[in-house]
Amino acid sequence: MTIEVEWRDYDVIVVGSGGAGSAAADAAAAEGARVLVVSKDPIACSDTKISEGNATVRGTVSDADTEQELSDNLRVSGADLPLPALTAAYAKDSRPAYDWYRAHGLRPKINRDRQGPFARPLAKGGHTVARSVGHKNAGVAFSHAAWDAVVEGAQIDYLEDAWFLDLAVAGAENGAPGRVAGGLVYHAATGTLVAVRASAVVMASGGLNTLYFPKTDTMRGNTGDGYAAAARAGADLVDMEQVQFLPFCLTAPASYEGLLVGEPSTASFLGVLRDRHGKVILDGVYLRTRAECSAAIMRAVADGRGTDGGGAYLDLTANARLPRSGKGFMRYLQTSMPSAYRTARQALSKPAVRCEESWEVRPAAHYTMGGIRVDATGASVGGPGDGTAAAGLSGLFAAGQAMGGVFGANRLGSTALTENVVFGLRAGRGAADHARAHPHSAGDDAFHPLIAAATAQFGHGGDQAPALLKLELQRAAWDHIGPARTADSLNRMDAVIDDLADRAGRAAVPDYALWNQAFIEWVELRSLLDVARAVTAAARERDASVGGHVRLDRPQVSILAQPYSTVVRGQTGNGGVLRVQAVRARRPRMPAMRLLAMRLKDAWRKTQAKALCLLPPALLDPILDRRYRAILGPGDAAPAVSPGGPAAAVADAAE
Amino acid sequence: MKIDIVTTRNGVRETVAYDYRPRQDGERPMILDVLLQAQATALPDLAFRYGCRARNCGVCTVDVNGRPRIACRARVRAGDRIEPMATLPVLADLVVRRDGIARQLQGRTTADHRDPDLNEEAPEAYHDLTACIECYACLDGCPMHARNFADDAADAALPDAATGYRWGNPFSLLKLQRLRLDPCVTEDGRQAALDAAIDLGLDACVGCKGCKCGVGIDLKGGVVGELLAAAGDRLSGDGASAD
Ligand SMILES: Cc1cc2nc3c(=O)[nH]c(=O)nc-3n(C[C@H](O)[C@H](O)[C@H](O)COP(=O)(O)OP(=O)(O)OC[C@H]3O[C@@H](n4cnc5c(N)ncnc54)[C@H](O)[C@@H]3O)c2cc1C
Ligand code: SF4
Ligand code: SF4
Ligand code: FES
Repeated sequence: MTIEVEWRDYDVIVVGSGGAGSAAADAAAAEGARVLVVSKDPIACSDTKISEGNATVRGTVSDADTEQELSDNLRVSGADLPLPALTAAYAKDSRPAYDWYRAHGLRPKINRDRQGPFARPLAKGGHTVARSVGHKNAGVAFSHAAWDAVVEGAQIDYLEDAWFLDLAVAGAENGAPGRVAGGLVYHAATGTLVAVRASAVVMASGGLNTLYFPKTDTMRGNTGDGYAAAARAGADLVDMEQVQFLPFCLTAPASYEGLLVGEPSTASFLGVLRDRHGKVILDGVYLRTRAECSAAIMRAVADGRGTDGGGAYLDLTANARLPRSGKGFMRYLQTSMPSAYRTARQALSKPAVRCEESWEVRPAAHYTMGGIRVDATGASVGGPGDGTAAAGLSGLFAAGQAMGGVFGANRLGSTALTENVVFGLRAGRGAADHARAHPHSAGDDAFHPLIAAATAQFGHGGDQAPALLKLELQRAAWDHIGPARTADSLNRMDAVIDDLADRAGRAAVPDYALWNQAFIEWVELRSLLDVARAVTAAARERDASVGGHVRLDRPQVSILAQPYSTVVRGQTGNGGVLRVQAVRARRPRMPAMRLLAMRLKDAWRKTQAKALCLLPPALLDPILDRRYRAILGPGDAAPAVSPGGPAAAVADAAE
Repeated sequence: MKIDIVTTRNGVRETVAYDYRPRQDGERPMILDVLLQAQATALPDLAFRYGCRARNCGVCTVDVNGRPRIACRARVRAGDRIEPMATLPVLADLVVRRDGIARQLQGRTTADHRDPDLNEEAPEAYHDLTACIECYACLDGCPMHARNFADDAADAALPDAATGYRWGNPFSLLKLQRLRLDPCVTEDGRQAALDAAIDLGLDACVGCKGCKCGVGIDLKGGVVGELLAAAGDRLSGDGASAD
């Protein structure tokens, strides 16, 4: 079978059309670059679209929210793994990044006193200061902005239904990284391979969370294609063992498995986690990071104290029971994460929805903190394992979930939508600059083996269905490299990967070119196998528990230990099979006084929270009632029509 | 539970009777559950779109017994027939080509007209329209969209999804009306949005029974009615595009 190949020329390819991709494309086009956006989902159909729409904007509630405060906050909650240059960039740009969404039509409620978007004065779990701006229509409002940025001006070319397959790299020799010559794309809607010459590529392709399907709340497209392509091209990945499992996702009913119903702040002042016997396994939940909550659940499950569905009970009843503040709590619950609550309302029993009963919850893959190793301009970084920046794969950039290094071992709620654009704009500008400095294509030679390999898959004879191999891999990944890991489980994962890789070589793919689903499944299976290798290698190199990496057989990493990040370095062997090697990159430690100050503040908040719970209901109720009034602000009703809402709709035949 | 799934491979259309095995007693599965199970068992190459499983991403719309449904949140009954959306060209199985819709708005959504003061709140009606998840359920029965395919005038080329359809649809009108409600868009920008709506064939809406939205947005009043009122007598002529 010969599938047709179409050649195209651009300055910059952007892979992905979520928040990060659309911002990168917009920034690169504004610099005068010829930009092609490649998106496997329709434009802006992404995690950005299905998110809860809470965005971190520094300084929205208080002037005490300095750049240093936010940057330190990210570093401490990320267990000192985040790169200071990246957290500083994040803190510096959070407001302009948010305003980029606004320039494309995102319209928040305005806080007139502070002349900016209104953020509720309740800090989300792990944040030291309240700074999360919520939005009507949640992530859908953000996706309209991303969509508008790509579509509206007609300066940006785009292809949707287009799978980015591989980076074409020239001049890679003796293990030294080469230079980007472009990329190869399968455009399923026309049934062609598109060979795109470009000297810069921005990976904005999201995460790898589909590795854990159906125990994930993210889009199906999160198959780690960007990480895998980068690693195969010789770029470094960082912190790959760090996957965020969001603690409060559903175990049942089956159609809702894995979907999110809350995050730590959902627990509000009085919510606790309980094991199957009703014993409290975590209190002060709303002040905890997501990683802490998930770890507590998975440790209880490992002890045999988990629920039938392999999770724990999120008990919100104490919040709802109080006569006055209970109403405020319910309103808070309905409006702070509107899509999550709507999911809960459809999936759970009536008493549970009214918070008269606990919710059965289990962690699900939500976000990949690890990713392509980059500097503050979004450019690929390589070099020795001691953290010294050295040139990585020249011409490769990354932003959003596809990049690593800004959140380390844990991502705080509401920080990703901002991250998308902070680094999307930086990477877009960086890519345009790079293309200007390297106007000539690095040559077509690098494309030929990629084209040959992709073409060979069409009409490939074999006895294995890629879609089924994918499901096998997903089940094994949850068990062996999921939210709880052991030395033994990592070894077992290696064996699973080898077996599946072998069988993937016997994949049956029909020979037609137009939207060939078996080919698409094979492409994604290949990515998932590569990222499973990277996660396993990094998890082995990280030999203690930290953040999203929970080792049941190892202690928590000591706060006195020198922090390090894992770096996974890829190399493609002859058969196109990725071999990975994990090394360590030292991270600077947070200055002791600042760390101490942050820890003390945190301890103080937790003590206050504990003391609050000890008050008799008659005293507690009015205090909480006042707090909810302050948090909710005036007239904050849930909107009548919202995506996923119960309003009468032709497309919903629920009853 | 027997469900008919219409597949198209390499141009060949077939109906496959799939036997869904309930996962619990009395389970009433969503359409998407049936498709996922079919893919995990008898039809591993089955092509269909989905993303979020939670009615947020808008890509999973299919026709069930001839009506558009959002697959992840609509339940099926024994004997139902699942087909690709009839309003767009089929690529494979349940996958249709969508991009001709969005592309018709390229260059038409007034990027140059933004007013720099961002600290303005939008009216409620703006947020009502922002609820659109781009599921394209509203294309069903839209005479304006049907013009793209019915137009067998002398020089009619096949509608070209790659460059955007000539004639509009409720989604495109919603996008344009949303701009007109945005407080940060200038008067020029609003005018340009109205001009674009008229050029896309707003006259088709005159006397039309009106469109229905997949997530319950009031398209008839909030979009079409507003645009018709603003266009006023600019639509009274007989031409497809006024001016
Ligand atoms: C349910 C949920 C709720 C969330 N809520 C919040 C919140 O309230 N606040 C917050 O800050 N964060 C939230 N997040 C996280 C946040 O939404 C994401 O991390 C962020 O939007 C990722 O943006 P991105 O641009 O990096 O990737 P995405 O938005 O996921 O976009 C990835 C893009 O890459 C494309 N793509 C992938 N692979 C390929 C390929 N091979 N070829 C071509 N294209 C490809 C996809 O089609 C898509 O367009 C939430 C996440 C989920 C799942
Ligand atoms: S207007 Fe409604 S039916 Fe049409 S695309 Fe938007 S959400 Fe779907
Ligand atoms: S009112 Fe207009 S947009 Fe709606 S269905 Fe009729 S012709 Fe289409
Ligand atoms: S899968 Fe996202 S709306 Fe159905």
